Formats: sequence, structure tokens, C-alpha cells
Amino acid sequence: MALIELQELTFRYPGAAADTLTPVSLSVADSAAFALLGASGAGKTTLLNLLSGLLRPTSGRILFNGEDVSTWAGRQRNVAQVFQFPVLYESMNVADNLAFPLRARKFQAAAIKQRVEVIASELNITDQLGHKASQLSLFQKQLIAIGRALVRPDVSVVLLDEPLTAVEPKMKWRLRRTLRRVQEELGVTMIYVTHDQTEALTFADQVAVMGDGKVLQVDTPERIYNRPLHEFVGYFIGSPGMNFVPSEQLHSSLSLVPGTKRIGFRPEWATLHAQNSAHINGRVTAQQLQGTDGGGLVGVQRLATEAGDLAVRGNLQAQVGQTVGVRLEQYLCFSQQGQLLVTPHE
Amino acid sequence: MLHLHHTRLAPDAEAFEHEFASGTLNVVLGRNRSGKTNLCRLIAGLNCSAKGDINLDGEMISSLRPQARSVAVVFQAFVNYPNWTVAQNIASPMRAQGVARKNCSARVNQLAEVLGLENLLQRLPNELSGGQQQRLAIARALAQQARVLLLDEPLVNLDYKLREALVLELQGLLQQTDTTVIYTTTDPKDAFALGDQVLLLDDHCKLQAGSPLEVYQRPVGFIAADLMSDPGVNAFVTPATLVAAARHAAVRPEHVHLSAEALGSEFSSFDMQVQGQETSGDETFIHGMVDGNRWVIRRPGMVSVTPGQRLSVSVRTDDILRFGVA
Repeated sequence: MALIELQELTFRYPGAAADTLTPVSLSVADSAAFALLGASGAGKTTLLNLLSGLLRPTSGRILFNGEDVSTWAGRQRNVAQVFQFPVLYESMNVADNLAFPLRARKFQAAAIKQRVEVIASELNITDQLGHKASQLSLFQKQLIAIGRALVRPDVSVVLLDEPLTAVEPKMKWRLRRTLRRVQEELGVTMIYVTHDQTEALTFADQVAVMGDGKVLQVDTPERIYNRPLHEFVGYFIGSPGMNFVPSEQLHSSLSLVPGTKRIGFRPEWATLHAQNSAHINGRVTAQQLQGTDGGGLVGVQRLATEAGDLAVRGNLQAQVGQTVGVRLEQYLCFSQQGQLLVTPHE
Repeated sequence: MLHLHHTRLAPDAEAFEHEFASGTLNVVLGRNRSGKTNLCRLIAGLNCSAKGDINLDGEMISSLRPQARSVAVVFQAFVNYPNWTVAQNIASPMRAQGVARKNCSARVNQLAEVLGLENLLQRLPNELSGGQQQRLAIARALAQQARVLLLDEPLVNLDYKLREALVLELQGLLQQTDTTVIYTTTDPKDAFALGDQVLLLDDHCKLQAGSPLEVYQRPVGFIAADLMSDPGVNAFVTPATLVAAARHAAVRPEHVHLSAEALGSEFSSFDMQVQGQETSGDETFIHGMVDGNRWVIRRPGMVSVTPGQRLSVSVRTDDILRFGVA
């Protein structure tokens, strides 16, 4: 397994007017569970293809354990990949599918047999080894595809490209949990690419959020959610995303860091009150019921305010059309450029 | 009023009656293969195994050809004319109906504005994002000015940020029109966000109908409670009891608390063995076993637990859903 470093990596598709990746620098520790999170078009797949050797960087370097692999072919890099849809030899049985990467690299038969057994037991699929791949469910097939990526003992990194897309929602968490357990037990470096916040925040110890060809933040899931370094990260993570309000629109003065242009707050960081004690006044435009708590209705209220549209999560006591005040219990300060400024209550 | 009379969504399914009131937004909620698409195809007059009489505002339309019904459809796999611009696509149903060119272009601009396509009118569909293409398909369906609009899982395949934005847009847009909208989904969140009325389907049968809150608070049975819950409800079943006979009680994942504080005096506590967790930042799902049943707990914010850990979890007595003997 390897420490993966990207140094000032850029990429521009031939003939394109702009870079798809603007300089990206990050490092993924050896044996880490790492996620790349971003919307479609953010540059995730380009970055993945650069790592696997399908694309060559326009500039910058990729290091595996300190060694520059930027110009190496994919085969030399020992990268294993898991794709959105399971790629298996349908006519082979599970054992032969798992053994295939080892046979292709001329491993000894005894070593192959032993390694296949280790991986099968790790994934709890020993009883399926004799089954034809074509007879398996999508969930089982994707599990085998993961097993195949893990089977070579000399793999530097396992790249997973939206691996749960094809798996039905109720099975997703089980596959993700298996993946995480195997990652820890085998000490595999895994880079998991997804547009889904739950996948990224649940799977990884470190999450890199990408937007528009840039890495905007690399951090723990907890800090990504609670301390986004950039407004886009706050907006993109969370459903609904973070609210942003121009600081000059706030009625009573909150303590702001010098240079603050906008303040950001999560829907659950605000509460609704009578107007006189509020930071922002507005009118309830819609309510999205999400359930009950202690018999009372809870959900998200949408408000139209002089500072723009806001979402506030909590009890649905107010009525649609009612004028209410919004109090911020917690907030972050952002600069003109949308960067997080250190907040006064830290 | 769209009245389904003696409708069977599959040849051997139980027949049911259902009324969709004019101008309402109706969410049809059911699992995959529960009959949602058959229901849409039956109303639209497309070939399917469902049978029944359909009465639209007093007129029996079941024997009419699809083109003769005042019904517009948007399917999950959205279809636009690839060689026509956005404007031409939106105009296409009106041109087919012989609407004058002048009226047609005013209506195109109006629909484009409502659906946020006003700056894209001269683009071709393949120059649009997935969300824009789906909005175009919806604009085209609205341009028909049909009395019934069927949306068959229109937001599946879109990423969650886009879904979030489109659900909000649709809510505003569809509530303004006097069209009767029927929106099918597997996601109870859509039912809450969009539905004036919810119709639950299970295995091609009508299970329950009512407002989202009624269906949420007073499910007619275990399956109804489970359908209107994300993730599904937690059962109280001891390993010794038969599953079918013992599904008399359940609790929703959001009604299981990690602390009994603030629950008042009427509550029960359970021992949970944690298997794992999922978090989206704003909420955390904790998976585990309680008395031999798989349970999921849904709590706000980020909660950190470790697999194997034991938790004491509590449920308000009032939050336990009880069902009659099946």
C-alpha cells in the first residue's frame, strides 16, 4: 500500500480552452480511507483517471510512496479499480473471477488459491465461490468486484468510482460497512469518488470536497460539515445546504470578524422567534414536513427575507404567510471571496 | 376529478376505487414493481397489464386513444426531441394541437421562465445538464395543457442537490396550476414535500390514501408505516414469534432516542447492539440489533458510535405504532 501525493497537478483536455483541473495538491496517507466528493463536472473523474494512469497530467506530479509515477503506464502503478457497475466475467464462477488478476500476473497456483480464500473469507463470500457470476444479485456482484480489486497483495491503491450506484438503497450501507471493515483489516489505501455526501462522510476519515476543478477543503467529515472553509462546501454538503446572508442585512449586530461580507448558518443553527428579538425578519413561504417529535410537527420552513430565501429546520409552529424573526444560535463568517474567516466564538 | 373505477393494476391483483381531486398534487408512493408505472400507463392509455374504467370530469376516457385523452406524461427516462432546440421542444405539443404561432411563442417563454430555461431556449437537449433536460421534458408536458399530468419517478437518476432544487420548484409550480398531478416515487420525502394527497401502493394494491400527515400518523398497517418511513420502521418482533402474526407494533427511526431525558414519564428503553452508522452531516442513521430485530435510529447531527458498542435507546409510549391483528 502506498502514500499518495499530488503536487500542483493540472490537467487540460486537448483543444479545451480551460483547465479541467487547476493546480491540485493533496496527500492521502498510507492505509487511509479517503473520499473525493463533488458534483458532476467538478473534476473527480479526471483526477481518478490521472491516478490510474489513463490520463497524463498537463503539469505537476503524482507520487506513490515518494516515487514519481506521473509518466508510468497504468499497469506499472499497481492500481486497482472498482466501477459504478460490477465488471465481472459472467461465465466464470466467483473463485475464477477473484483469481483472474493473479493468474494474469503469473502468480503460483498455491499462492492464488490461498489469497482467494483469504479475500473470500474477508468478504464473507466463501459459500459463493462455486457460483456462476451471472447468477448473483447486483449487490453480490459488486462485492465480488471489490474482492477482485483487493485480491492482489501488491496493490498500491484501490480507486472506487461511485461503487454503490447500482446497489439498491437498503443494501448500500451494508456494502459500505463491509468495504470499510476490509479497508481497516487489510490496511488498504482507498480513494472513494462520489457525489453523495452520505457516502463520503460515512466512508472516509478524510474527505476532499471538489468544485470547479479545485480541491476546496480536505478535512474530517465532522469539520467538513461544521466548519466549511468555503461557501460552496457549506452549500453543497447538507440538505438543504447552508444559508448565506449579506452581513449588512442583519438587524441587530452579531459579533463579526473584520472583513466579513456574508455569514453562513446551517438550517438547524437558527430558531424562529417573535420579530423584536431576531437577527433577520421574514415571512414563511413554505413548510416541508419531515415527521413528528413528541407529537409536534418538525421539518424545514422556507422563509422569504430582506436578506434572501432561507431554510430553517425545527418545529413547524409558524404558519405559511406568517411574519417571523430568525435568531442565529450559531454561524460562520465568510469573506468577499467566500472563504471562511475565524469566528468570534471560537 | 379523475376517478379510477374497479381498477386492477395486475391481472390477479385486488380491484380498487380511487379519486384524484381536480387541481391536486397526488403522490403515489410504493416500492419498485408495486404497480406505479402500470397506474400511469393505464391512465395515459398506454399498453400495460392494468385494467379499469377511468372517468375524467364525468367523461369515460378508458376507451379513448392516448392522443385523445387530456393526459400528459413525463417518464423517468426523459425524452426530448434531440434535433430540436429547447424552444422548439416546448412548442411541439402546441404545434401538434394547431395553436397559433403567436400564442405559442408567448406560452413557450412563460413556461421557460417558470422552469428556469429562459436563457437556454436556443440550445439543443444534448447541450443541457440532466436536470435541465428533465425540466425541459416537464415544460413540454405542461405545454400540452392537459387536465392530468403524470410524472413517473421524474427525479430518479438526478443527484441530490438537483433533486432538492427541483422538488422545491415543482412544489411551487404544480400547486399554481389547476392540473391534476400524479407523481410516483419510492421516496417518502417526496410524498411529504409535494403531496396534497398520498396514495400508497403495495404489490399492485391500494393500501391507504390520505394527506401525508394522516398517512404518517395513522398508518393502516405495518407495510403502510414502513412505506411512509425513511429508512423503514423498526419492528417489535421476538425471534420466537411468527413474523406475520407479530408485526403488531413498530416505531419510526426518528422516534428512537439516545437519551430518555425530555421524554416525559411514559417511555420504554431497549438495549441496542450497534452494527454501524451512516451520516449525511445533518443527520445520522445508527444501525443495530434490538431483541433480535434490525433497527435503525435516525438522529439529527453527527453522532459517533462504534460497531459492537451497546446503547440504551428509548421510545416514547405515544410514538409506538400499534396495528390490529392481521
